[in-house]
Amino acid sequence: MLPFTVTLRPGRSLHDQIVFAVTKAIVTGQLQAGDRFPAVRVVSQELRINPNTAQKAVTTLVERGLLEVQPGVGTTVAAWRPVSSVGRRSALSDSIERLVIDAKRLGLSLTELLDTIRREWK
Amino acid sequence: MTEGDPMDHAIVTSNLNCRYGAVKAITDLTLQVEAGTIFALLGPNGAGKTSTLRVLMNIIPPASGSASVLGVDSRKLGPDELATIGYVSENQHIPRWMTVDQLIRFCKPLYRTWDDSLCNTLLQQFDLPRDVRLGRMSRGMRVKAALVSSLAYRPRLLVLDEPFSGLDPVVRDDLVRGVLELAGEERWTVLISSHDLDEVERLVDAVGFIDGGRLVLSERFSDLHARFRRIDLTAPEWPSPPASLPTWLGVQRSGRLLRFIESRYVDGETERRIAAMAPEAVIDVQPMTLREIFIALVRRQREVSR
Repeated sequence: MLPFTVTLRPGRSLHDQIVFAVTKAIVTGQLQAGDRFPAVRVVSQELRINPNTAQKAVTTLVERGLLEVQPGVGTTVAAWRPVSSVGRRSALSDSIERLVIDAKRLGLSLTELLDTIRREWK
Repeated sequence: MTEGDPMDHAIVTSNLNCRYGAVKAITDLTLQVEAGTIFALLGPNGAGKTSTLRVLMNIIPPASGSASVLGVDSRKLGPDELATIGYVSENQHIPRWMTVDQLIRFCKPLYRTWDDSLCNTLLQQFDLPRDVRLGRMSRGMRVKAALVSSLAYRPRLLVLDEPFSGLDPVVRDDLVRGVLELAGEERWTVLISSHDLDEVERLVDAVGFIDGGRLVLSERFSDLHARFRRIDLTAPEWPSPPASLPTWLGVQRSGRLLRFIESRYVDGETERRIAAMAPEAVIDVQPMTLREIFIALVRRQREVSR
C-alpha cells in the first residue's frame, strides 16, 4: 500500500493526478518531512501505471522541492520550506485565472465563488 | 542516438504486408516501437493486430516488406532471440495435461536467464495452485500460468496479444501487477494488443491505431491525450451555426447544444478561436479517456471509408 491517498480517474493526466495527490498529502500532513517515499517501481505496481509515468511524477516532485533523493537512502519527503507569499501566490495564478473564467461562464457571483472556496478550505 | 537508429527501437516494421490467400491482413504497415516503452496496438476486431504480432514473432511470414525485432529480421528469429522475448497470446497452445510445476520445470532449462525467485514471487502473487493440471484451470488461471512462464526469464521484450480478454477485473488487475514486476528493468519493452482500454490507458507510453490492416496513427499517448477534447458549445440560439472544421469529429446538434470532438486541441488557442466564431456560446471543454478517443477514431474511420 502507498503511504498517501490517491484515487486515479481515467481521462485525466496520470502525472498531474499523482503530483497533486502527493502535494496534498504533504500539505495535510499525511506525509511528513523525512518520511520515506516509495520507490518508483512500487508506485508503478501499486497504482498499476507505467513506470515511466511514475518516474516523471517523482522527478516533478523532486524539482518542486517536495521530495528529495538521498544517495544510499532513497527518496524522502523534503523538509517544509515555505516560499515567500508572493511566490506562493504566483504559483497559483494560472489556476485562479481559470477558476475565475469558469465561474464567470457559469454565471457565479464573486460572493458565491468565495463561499465555495471557503467550504473547500475547511 | 538518432531517431532512425535501430538500437533505439525494439521493433521496426517497414511497408509490411501480410495476406491469408486472397485476403489482405496487413497493408504497408510501417511502425516503430521505442525501446524501454509500453506500446499498445489498438483497433477494432479483424483490424490486423494479431497478424502483425504473429509476423513479429515469426509465426507467419510477411508477404513483403520487413520487420525487425530487437535488431534482428523477424524471419531470422531463432531460439537465441526468442529466449529474450516473452509472448503470451489469446490463442496460444498450452499443454493442458501439465501442472504449473511441470510447466515451469519444462520451461526453465530453455532459458539461460530464468530467475527462480521472480518465478516464485509471481506464483505467489497470482495465487496459482502448482499441482493442478492446466486443462482443469479457469482461463484466467491459465493466462496467469502462461504469463509466469514468459516473465520468469526476464525477457527484454514482452508481446501480449489480448491478454485480458474475457477475464474478470480481479484477474486483469493481477496480470497488470505481474507485468509490472519487470518494471524498471533496463530498456524493457512491452507491445500489447488489447480491447481493455481502461487497463491500457494507465500503462501505455504510446499507442498505434490500426484499422483495415493499415496503421492510422502512431503517437505518444500524452500527445494524443493532449490534443483530443470533447467540446460542448451552448448558445442562446444558433442563427447560423459555425461551419464544422476538418479537425472536428462527430459533430452533433441538439437544441442549444453543439457537441463535437476537437482532434487538434491547443490549450487556450482553441477556446479563443471558438469564441471568435461563436462569441455568444458558453464553451465547455473536457479531456477524454482512451476509450472515448478510440471510439471517436473508429467512427471517423467508418465515415471516411463510406
